[in-house]
Amino acid sequence: MATPAQLGLMDAASPVMEEMIYFHDHVMLVLILITCLIFYSMLVLISSKYIYRFLTDGHVIETVWTVIPAIILVVVALPSLKLLYLTDELDSPQLTIKGVGHQWYWSYEYTDYYDIEFDSYMLPLGDLNKGDARLLEVDNRVVLPVDTSVRMLVTAADVIHAWTVPSLGLKMDAVPGRLNQLALQCSRVGTFYGQCSEICGANHSFMPIVIEAVPVETFEAWCDAMLDSE
Amino acid sequence: MADVPAGRLPKPQMRGLLISHLKRHGAIALVFSMGVTLAYKLAVADPRKRHYEEFYKNYDVKREFEAMKEAGIFNCARPSWEQAAEED
Repeated sequence: MATPAQLGLMDAASPVMEEMIYFHDHVMLVLILITCLIFYSMLVLISSKYIYRFLTDGHVIETVWTVIPAIILVVVALPSLKLLYLTDELDSPQLTIKGVGHQWYWSYEYTDYYDIEFDSYMLPLGDLNKGDARLLEVDNRVVLPVDTSVRMLVTAADVIHAWTVPSLGLKMDAVPGRLNQLALQCSRVGTFYGQCSEICGANHSFMPIVIEAVPVETFEAWCDAMLDSE
Repeated sequence: MADVPAGRLPKPQMRGLLISHLKRHGAIALVFSMGVTLAYKLAVADPRKRHYEEFYKNYDVKREFEAMKEAGIFNCARPSWEQAAEED
């Protein structure tokens, strides 16, 4: 999860998020190049005591400072589009999970191999254990097998919500009457947190998402335990 | 003061000052900005990629899961000491 005074992106837990971090570094290179160029130009212009009184036009320089930004935009756009299409790639998912946004909780359905349904409410302050994250913990977490391609279908039952997990590079609007698809793959085990990302009423800030990425055997044992409890 | 010979000032550039300034400062600006960019790439971007590669090169899912489980991170898999305490 995010930590206080954090400046950068959260550590990636999925291949897509890794690529997003690398793309962010790529764009930062372009921004640093432009900023340093402009900064030095401003420094020179401000400190210069000369004025060119006969300046009327500059066709060459105008062509240069039109073509170069166009090239820079292409250098940014090409990897950006590649990443955009990568986020939509879903290669033979082994599991499909439905996430439904409600006011103000999420409900999940695992209906592929089992018939598991549960609601996921935020844990109130009084129910937190020592070390738990305030406003982020839930009573029932989404359990997923690690290194498994998962299809997440997101919708809503009332108003628009958004299902977000920053560590996995995931964000998708949950729209009533519409099924949105997300490709999800956890590269490492752990717990990953997110929060509703579309204003949905009074408790919009209090309907978090928690994913537990575990080995397949643990996932299957959890499924059996959930079936037994139902 | 009159007995000190006055030095001759260098002749200032009379023509093409703007162009020469543009060339000089344009080159300096390019070198400076490319240098800072390269420094960011070498100091931040490339080490970050290497760090991720090294992390996943010998990543053992079972070992990491067991360590996290014993730390009590997961709800779906409780630590062995907690299960033992419950049995007692």
